Amino acid sequence: MSRRDSTSYQWSARGFIAPGVILVAVLLYAPLLWTTYLSFTEYNGLGDPDWVGLANYGAMFADPEFFGSLGNTLLWVAGTLIVPVGLGLGLALLTFDLKGGIWLRLPFLIPYAISGIGVGLIWSFILQSDGALDQALALVGVVDPPRWLLDAPLNTVVMILASSWQGVGVNALLFTIGLQSIPKEPLEAARLDGARGARLFGSILWPMLRPLTAVVIGLSIVASLKTFDIVQGMTKGGPGRASETLALTMYKDTFVNSDYGLGSAIAVFLTIVTLVASVLYLRQQLSKKNEI
Amino acid sequence: MSRFIRTAVLIVAGIIWLLPVYLLVINAAKSPADFTSKEAWLPNGFALFENMSDALSLSGLGDAVFSTLIYAVVSPIVAVLVGAAAGFAIVALRLKHGFAWFVVIFGGTVFPLQMVLIPLFDGYSRVGLFDTRLGMVLIYTAISVPFSAFVMRNFFSGIAHNVFEAAVVDGASTWRIFTRVYIPMSLSALVAIFILQATFVWNDLLLGLTLSQSDDVRPIVTTLSGMQSTYGGAQLSTVLAAGILVSLPTVVLFLFTQKFFAKGLALGQY
Repeated sequence: MSRRDSTSYQWSARGFIAPGVILVAVLLYAPLLWTTYLSFTEYNGLGDPDWVGLANYGAMFADPEFFGSLGNTLLWVAGTLIVPVGLGLGLALLTFDLKGGIWLRLPFLIPYAISGIGVGLIWSFILQSDGALDQALALVGVVDPPRWLLDAPLNTVVMILASSWQGVGVNALLFTIGLQSIPKEPLEAARLDGARGARLFGSILWPMLRPLTAVVIGLSIVASLKTFDIVQGMTKGGPGRASETLALTMYKDTFVNSDYGLGSAIAVFLTIVTLVASVLYLRQQLSKKNEI
Repeated sequence: MSRFIRTAVLIVAGIIWLLPVYLLVINAAKSPADFTSKEAWLPNGFALFENMSDALSLSGLGDAVFSTLIYAVVSPIVAVLVGAAAGFAIVALRLKHGFAWFVVIFGGTVFPLQMVLIPLFDGYSRVGLFDTRLGMVLIYTAISVPFSAFVMRNFFSGIAHNVFEAAVVDGASTWRIFTRVYIPMSLSALVAIFILQATFVWNDLLLGLTLSQSDDVRPIVTTLSGMQSTYGGAQLSTVLAAGILVSLPTVVLFLFTQKFFAKGLALGQY
């Protein structure tokens, strides 16, 4: 029977898997390969691409704007790890075991489902010169507030905070699910032994949250490397190109400056960085697991 | 920390967290005639619904709502079924090299979207799919398939294989077993994937920006982004009202289905 199992339905099985494979191959893999090819060519969307070898990569690494954009992207990665992940954990710990915790977390969850553009719309309204924040500051006597969205790197920092406003709640939700799945016995035992607050956290909660923390951090790294929507919604990468991330630089070089070759090279670079970060991170996580 | 202090801290922090939402709502409710960005913190009249209906006729936001509904419903449904079929082939029909095929499908999500934008734009323009609803539905579907296949493969692995064998003994064809046995058994997983993907499609900016330009094809968030750069000054209240209009469906959906979201996220989608 088991032998028949593995052979008798093969044609039918191919038919069932075909739609998925075809969709992914035609609309994702073929473009992926084409972008990689285009990164070695000069192309503006008309005529045929001309092979130029590594010239686009050379131009990319010679461009100070590219390094500015790379720096902003790394700032996004670092900022996203510190603020939304840290605050999310803090929030989950504060609401843990608390009566009405669900309701107390709710205000933090609402922003999560708003699109990046929606979040950008709200915060650029708040942060514009003489906007809501500046008016509030004037009430407490600050007459000459910083130019939130106009000076780099301050604009990237405030955008990271705006994106944290959006992301904290869902991180808190993930950590809460992690906390709720911790077995009650060791927790009670530690409490009976007098562990409270920081000690309870350090000796029981944190080690048991490790797998989930790994997921949250991994997701945050990958997502922040691709930051696009919220920057597009708040500064459009400006003023000039001061707050661009790699995703924005790729978009502008391609679709605004019609330099498809350079745009492709940036996309390939971004992909390599994302994959390397994921692999390094996964490997580190796996080796840690082996130690325990 | 005592429970009382914790609760108090959370209430204060929660109120601070909602201040931007408060600002959004009161300023979106100001009629353009009374609107001044000088008094952002004070409510002034209630013209929210007028502003929303003005917003719908501005920049073709009304058309965008309609097309985005199509994208956010059709693409996830197709993707869920295509993903389920792939899971069925691998798990129930024991496709040879099934895991390798699964990796092929799932690998479609591991690289950034930036890697597909240029060829899609170029290719869509050449074959006449640029700025069409069909083109948008196709790409949203393809992007949603890997995650759907991932979840459905896991889900079907939890169904005992003798369910399949019993159906075979009854003389059912594989198509019939898929549509009459496996799909009905997995409705909860299908719905969870659908909700996640519908929200993703509804909130998409980048694909809309790249692959569409006319009012009746552009998805809603892309349209909102365009409005934001086109209309300022007194019409800002209308744009803010548009922001509420665009955000409300996903916020409501999310609040009712938090657990699904968290699970999907923990599975590693985004």
